[in-house]
Amino acid sequence: MKPVPFCLVIIASLLGGCASPVVVTKAEKFSGMYTEKPLTIFVLPPLNSTTAVDAKEYYATAIPQPLAFAGFYVLPMEITGELLKSQGLYDTELLVDQPLNRFHEYFGADAVLFTHIKKWDKAYAVLAANLTVTIDAKLKSTKTNRVLWEYSGTIVADLSGQTSTGNLLVDLVAKAVITGINTAAADYVPYAQLATAQLMQSVPFGKYHARSEKDGQDKILDQPPGRPR
Amino acid sequence: MKAGLILGLVGLLLGGCVAPPVNYYYGAYSRSLYRSKKDSTPESLAKHRDVLLDIIRTSERRGIKVPPGIYFEYGYLLAKEGSPEAERYFGMEVKAYPEAERFVSFVRAQLQGKS
Repeated sequence: MKPVPFCLVIIASLLGGCASPVVVTKAEKFSGMYTEKPLTIFVLPPLNSTTAVDAKEYYATAIPQPLAFAGFYVLPMEITGELLKSQGLYDTELLVDQPLNRFHEYFGADAVLFTHIKKWDKAYAVLAANLTVTIDAKLKSTKTNRVLWEYSGTIVADLSGQTSTGNLLVDLVAKAVITGINTAAADYVPYAQLATAQLMQSVPFGKYHARSEKDGQDKILDQPPGRPR
Repeated sequence: MKAGLILGLVGLLLGGCVAPPVNYYYGAYSRSLYRSKKDSTPESLAKHRDVLLDIIRTSERRGIKVPPGIYFEYGYLLAKEGSPEAERYFGMEVKAYPEAERFVSFVRAQLQGKS
């Protein structure tokens, strides 16, 4: 299967999310990203509050690519994961409110990415099977412990390929994702990537992105503060 | 493929997508990573190592930057197999991404501590 081009995903999600009326700029919403300019990101294993046991593994593999495409240096999760285990840190939850300066001291990370799988629901109807994925993400500074960026993304994917959302673009993207997919286990990975790409549209770009530090006036959809985490 | 073409055209129309902002080749990365995590068999790990090598070779052939962490991860798998080649790939990661240096040093020390 061919991966869905990143930009198309963004277009689809922009068009798909037009219902919400409040628009802000990236610089207004996430000023810390522009003052601290984090580059090196330590990605923690996702928190999973769904009943889908596999979701954590699926989702973890879908984080590094969209993050790299947004211009960041992502410390390899294969290695950071083993490292956390060797330190006895199995539960990301324990780290949420902890000072993160050690991540900078030992690993050179500028920020730590927390992700939380809020929804991973498969729904079967007579003619369709849907997968709804909702991810909350939060990037915290290792220097100031401040939340630099946080956003939530949802995608609804039609597993049967008979998508009809009434939105031509979203349908096309969904079909492009589904083409060539069977129901084997690892095939949820592209959906998880879509969900990540969807929320990454709001992140101020990192150093390796051509528009790094030039995207402050880019408009994003505002999300109400204090979402349950 | 027709859908892909239409999407491409729509992308061009909407603009901003003409030149990819960052160009990385990831091959079959996330799938093979998933499988190697899920099964953790010698076969799935070997497959993942091949995917990493494919990313490195294809990126170099295309003259684009190898994505963050790929040299590092490849070197790490080699190190765990006791291959002396590992250090070369750690060096390549730091050369491509100087910000990786602290973490590479940390991991190197951990690996040496174990052996």
